[in-house]
Amino acid sequence: MIRINKLSKSYGSENHGGAQNSRKVEAVKNLTLNIPKGELFCFLGPNGAGKTTTIKMLTGLLRPSSGSILINGIDPEKDHISSKRIIGYIPDMPYLYERLTTTEFFEFTGELYDIHKESIIEKLEESFALFGLLEYKNVLVKDLSHGLRQRLIYSTTFLHDPEILFIDEPLIGLDPYTIRLIKDLLKEKAENGMTIFLTTHILALAEDIAHRIGIIMRGELIETGTLSELYEKHGKNNLEDIFLSLTGK
Amino acid sequence: MSIEKALFKKIKYSFFNLGRILSIQSRLKVFFILCSTIGLIAVMWLMFYSGFRYFDTMSGFGNIIINKLFTFFFLGMGVMLVFSSIITSYSTIFRSEEIPFLLVRPVGYNQITLYKFFESTLLSSWAFVFIILPYVGAYATYNEMSVLFAIWTLIFSIPFLIICSAFGSIFIIIFVRFTPKSKKFFFFLIAVIVCLLIVTFLLNPTSDTDKAMEVFDVSAILPGLNFASNPMLPSFWASEGIMALTHGQIFRGGMFWLLLMLTATSLLVLINDIGGLLFYNTWLLTMEGGQNNKRAPILFKWLDKLLFFLSHDIKAMIKKDVRIFFRDPVQWSQVLIFFGLIGLYFINIRNFHYHSIDAMWRNMIAFLNVFCLSMVLSSLGSRFIYPQLSLEGQGFWVIGLSPTSMKRIVLTKFFSSLFAMIIISVTLILISSFMLNVEKEVLIITVALIVSVSIAICGLSTGLGAIFIDLKQRNPAAIVSGFGGTLNLILSLCFIIVSIVPIGLILHLKTVSKITSQTAENLLMFTGLWLIIIILSSSILPLSVGIKSLNKNKGM
Repeated sequence: MIRINKLSKSYGSENHGGAQNSRKVEAVKNLTLNIPKGELFCFLGPNGAGKTTTIKMLTGLLRPSSGSILINGIDPEKDHISSKRIIGYIPDMPYLYERLTTTEFFEFTGELYDIHKESIIEKLEESFALFGLLEYKNVLVKDLSHGLRQRLIYSTTFLHDPEILFIDEPLIGLDPYTIRLIKDLLKEKAENGMTIFLTTHILALAEDIAHRIGIIMRGELIETGTLSELYEKHGKNNLEDIFLSLTGK
Repeated sequence: MSIEKALFKKIKYSFFNLGRILSIQSRLKVFFILCSTIGLIAVMWLMFYSGFRYFDTMSGFGNIIINKLFTFFFLGMGVMLVFSSIITSYSTIFRSEEIPFLLVRPVGYNQITLYKFFESTLLSSWAFVFIILPYVGAYATYNEMSVLFAIWTLIFSIPFLIICSAFGSIFIIIFVRFTPKSKKFFFFLIAVIVCLLIVTFLLNPTSDTDKAMEVFDVSAILPGLNFASNPMLPSFWASEGIMALTHGQIFRGGMFWLLLMLTATSLLVLINDIGGLLFYNTWLLTMEGGQNNKRAPILFKWLDKLLFFLSHDIKAMIKKDVRIFFRDPVQWSQVLIFFGLIGLYFINIRNFHYHSIDAMWRNMIAFLNVFCLSMVLSSLGSRFIYPQLSLEGQGFWVIGLSPTSMKRIVLTKFFSSLFAMIIISVTLILISSFMLNVEKEVLIITVALIVSVSIAICGLSTGLGAIFIDLKQRNPAAIVSGFGGTLNLILSLCFIIVSIVPIGLILHLKTVSKITSQTAENLLMFTGLWLIIIILSSSILPLSVGIKSLNKNKGM
């Protein structure tokens, strides 16, 4: 599970000339959130609301200005290696090694997690078959289309069976077939106990797969709840209306 | 399998896949690159060998220089490697897109630092192989040494490269981690450097030649030779060790090799520890810098007024390029280091007493300075001017779709880089000539030469950059190391050789009275004509082909 307590992130520093001259930008303010094991949590918010900053802090790519994070009881600040062993992260623009073939990239990722070679080979067949990558086994990453690259990154991220998965905008540039595949896979993984924290702009995706939804606005968490709780609380029966009324757009 | 093994296996895969990528390239292209590389090494070998033969004709003085040159060569290489490592380490360790990928995986900060250090060492030192090979080859041929000399050189070079690269990497990690990020500090640093340069300049005697210095003093003419023999320097251990083993002194050679290995290993341990302690925080600092601006940036607001005479599209492109350049510390710091070092050397010419030696030598040094500055210009042309069109990348459509022509885009890039290059290069050559006290004739020729080299390098780099444009690649190092980048560097070097050598030779022959003044004047006129022809062919030709190529590939 993920425990976030009073998490804040600010850039720059306060000047002495008062608020007018302040160069401090608070990207995330006092975020407190608990995501239990097996929950699929969708983090929604307009552009620049602080979604990516939050996910980067949770994965260790940004250091919080204050507050604490616990990943399955592990403080990533104190033991980053142990926390990284149990997480998976799919950024919106993932980095891939252009000069490796898909198989080599898969093997390399497995070796970073110290997975046994036989196990890697076994999982490669299974995962490549699932993501339709079998015919691209010997193709260099640089020659893959955007959609195929996304499939490859999903395939390698699931290789070490992460207990917690962070995904930033999971459906960018994917075809309808892959979108369905990813949605079904995320639901199945959550059912099997994987905790999933994803950010998205696609409200339909949140409506479709989220167990719980959080809405962030100017760095502050302004709403959380299940879809039915949100419908009931706001007296509306679609997420779009709730989102627009909350974010004031 | 350990993390280290996985990372090095990845490098191995990437290396072997390079062959796969090359195999689908045009054979003519691969053949051309191979021939050019072999040709370049052969020409450099010939130059070094001729140099040794020339020193040989000077009997005693020449022999002293030749004996010390090998040690001096390693010192020079070492200094260049440290600076090269400083530049490469910053982009490899802190700016690599691979870092976030590794940071979210169970890889230790020390492991990332060490892995990136090796990558940086490889990137910063491979080009030096092209200098080491012909130099060592020429030295061995001249001294009629055995093949073992080459083997010892290779064995000693590896720890030596690691030591030099480690100094650069350690410096940059500590510098980035502990240097305050405020603009005030940056301007303070610049002010200190400028003050130091002014003080150095003022302390140098600029008066008439000191007659007493006309006595031939080896250590005064080449002071670096003595310094290179300092037993505390790793370059000395490398050169002495190679020589000792070549002459059969196994224990002495072995001792120097162990000394190098011990130092290299200690530095690796230090990098590992520094990485574990400082890498993550330093990387975060580099990532978080610049996200704190609430105010509208005012960088070069005055440029608008300064460029009032230009049309709106050209003005917009120049403003954009200037802003991007100065907002990227990697770019301006590299330029600052290159030109700063060469400027420092020119300002210190009088400390080496070069101004008080014979006119023949002063002329030779003046041309060597032009050659040296031209080399720096060619590497900067390849590093900054060649990839500038490709680096427009995904944003190229903004320019491509705007109501301007490809011709205007390319010519704007050409003239703006030429303007910047000429200001810097002419200033540096004027300093060099003033410090050397050269004759008016030499001053005019060296300025003309450096202007010609600037035009040719800007023309070649912009033109070839347009012909071999690669909008998908975001890494400048990868753009530069491609076929177009290599061709650009080779052609720039060829231009430098065919433009500087003939004029330098004529002036030298005139100074040593091998030809009359009248003959020299006639030859210089012909050479001037030759210079005009090669400037035109190396600027107008690639520029026009580049423009045509861009127009043809508009749909990229």
